[in-house]
Amino acid sequence: MNKLIEENLLAVLKREGLQPRLGDLAQFSEIIELYMENLKQLHSVNLGADEFAPVFRPEWKS
Amino acid sequence: MALAEKPLYYLSIHEAQQLIKDRKLSPVELTQSVLDRIAAVDGKLHAYINLMADSAMSAARAAETEIQHGHWRGPMHGIPIAVKDQLDVEGAPARIRQFTKGVGDAAAVRKLRDAGAVMLGKLHMSSLPDAELPLPRNPWNTDHITGGSSTGSGAAVAGGLCLGSLGEDTAGSIRNPSAFCGLAGLKGTYGRVSRYGLAPLSWSLDHCGPMARVVEDLAHMLNAIAGYDPKDPTSSSMPVADYTGALRDDVRGMVIGVPRDYIDECAPRTDPVVLKLVAEAVEGLRSLGARVEDVRVPTLHLATIANAVIYYNEFWAAHKSDAAGVLKTGAPQRRARIYLGLLTGSADYIQAQRIRGRCRAELAEIFERVDCLALPNQAGPAPRVKDVGAIDTLFKHVVPEYHGPFNLTGLPTLSVPCGFSPNDLPIALQLVAKPFDEVTVLRAGYTYQQHMKWYERRPPI
Repeated sequence: MNKLIEENLLAVLKREGLQPRLGDLAQFSEIIELYMENLKQLHSVNLGADEFAPVFRPEWKS
Repeated sequence: MALAEKPLYYLSIHEAQQLIKDRKLSPVELTQSVLDRIAAVDGKLHAYINLMADSAMSAARAAETEIQHGHWRGPMHGIPIAVKDQLDVEGAPARIRQFTKGVGDAAAVRKLRDAGAVMLGKLHMSSLPDAELPLPRNPWNTDHITGGSSTGSGAAVAGGLCLGSLGEDTAGSIRNPSAFCGLAGLKGTYGRVSRYGLAPLSWSLDHCGPMARVVEDLAHMLNAIAGYDPKDPTSSSMPVADYTGALRDDVRGMVIGVPRDYIDECAPRTDPVVLKLVAEAVEGLRSLGARVEDVRVPTLHLATIANAVIYYNEFWAAHKSDAAGVLKTGAPQRRARIYLGLLTGSADYIQAQRIRGRCRAELAEIFERVDCLALPNQAGPAPRVKDVGAIDTLFKHVVPEYHGPFNLTGLPTLSVPCGFSPNDLPIALQLVAKPFDEVTVLRAGYTYQQHMKWYERRPPI
């Protein structure tokens, strides 16, 4: 697995008091790397400052 | 096929309900036929993980008595059904929960019981913690998978082991097994069916819906389960239609949009036989009176990864308190979702929600011109069991494909068979409509189904 991704994953696991199951990082390295790569595409589109999400609405249900 | 030539366990819900209503068929006789079928073939299909034969027969006898006394509750009365494990059933909480308690009957299960349905039991689903459970096999060819994650529902309905089933769909889990097993399957609009008692995968993407052998059966089941539920704050109070009544109309005058550029985007990963059969199905709809036009949804190519980002983040959030247990004893797919959720930042999640908003807006504009969209429902026929790894589904979830965009946008989406591959495995068409317009996809799917009659073919099991 990409070293940076692995270090990041191990750090967040540690922060949450978790540890990966033995062999999982090797078993899942391909899907994790593909996911992280495709994650970048999510930010490839410029949505502009006028599109907000999630939307907060202050009114209560009547 | 004439009813006399058809085994009782292969009656559609629509056929069976008419016979039961007319007192030509006893719910006890029908339920016994299905239980005999389960005894005969579930050793090969592995659909059931909890068969409730005794309570099913009790319910069938009670239904019979009520009907004999003139109290027919409606089309689901006396109909044997089964549900995906993910839905809680009284005495049989979802095994997939592992670390949380069930609620008794899930709302959709309770509604079906109230409508008089006979509960046969719980069906297998992908990523159960019980690794020793054999994987369900596809009744069309038992060397092949059923598709997931409503794996057992696909096998059971196609194989005649129940007349209909409830599935759940977060990224295609109703439509995928429906397509692979030659069934009709409906993921209604987000909020159309209560998710109370459904073990959560992703709060804003999970949909509960029916799977059956024909479209009219979906309408009967949806009539029973749709509607607002105060126990599910995401369920909708939008009016519930008469879904079976809507099938009286056809597609004449209907405008069907084909998202051509998105199909082209997915084409390199799609078996040509799927593209060919779906194109023929669209032509079939045109020949039946629909007008067909190409449409373009510019941001749809980002919808699958946005769906995955929301899925894995919400999965992580839902399982934060029991994540140590999931990583220790959970199935590989669930462990992988924990890791992927942990790796996704808040800015990614918010960007995914913004893309969700953009896709909704683009689709809303298109649905001002068209009544429904038509596109493929799968990348290919059901693969062989031996060719599928434990986490292969996750690869489908992160590159553009046909299911995730409609979980992301919450639109009602129907899977209906549109032919067979050269090796006799089912292929399906996907139809999508605007929010809470289940009527349109059911009507279009029913009209097409009645024209082609693919449902008359039976799996060789």
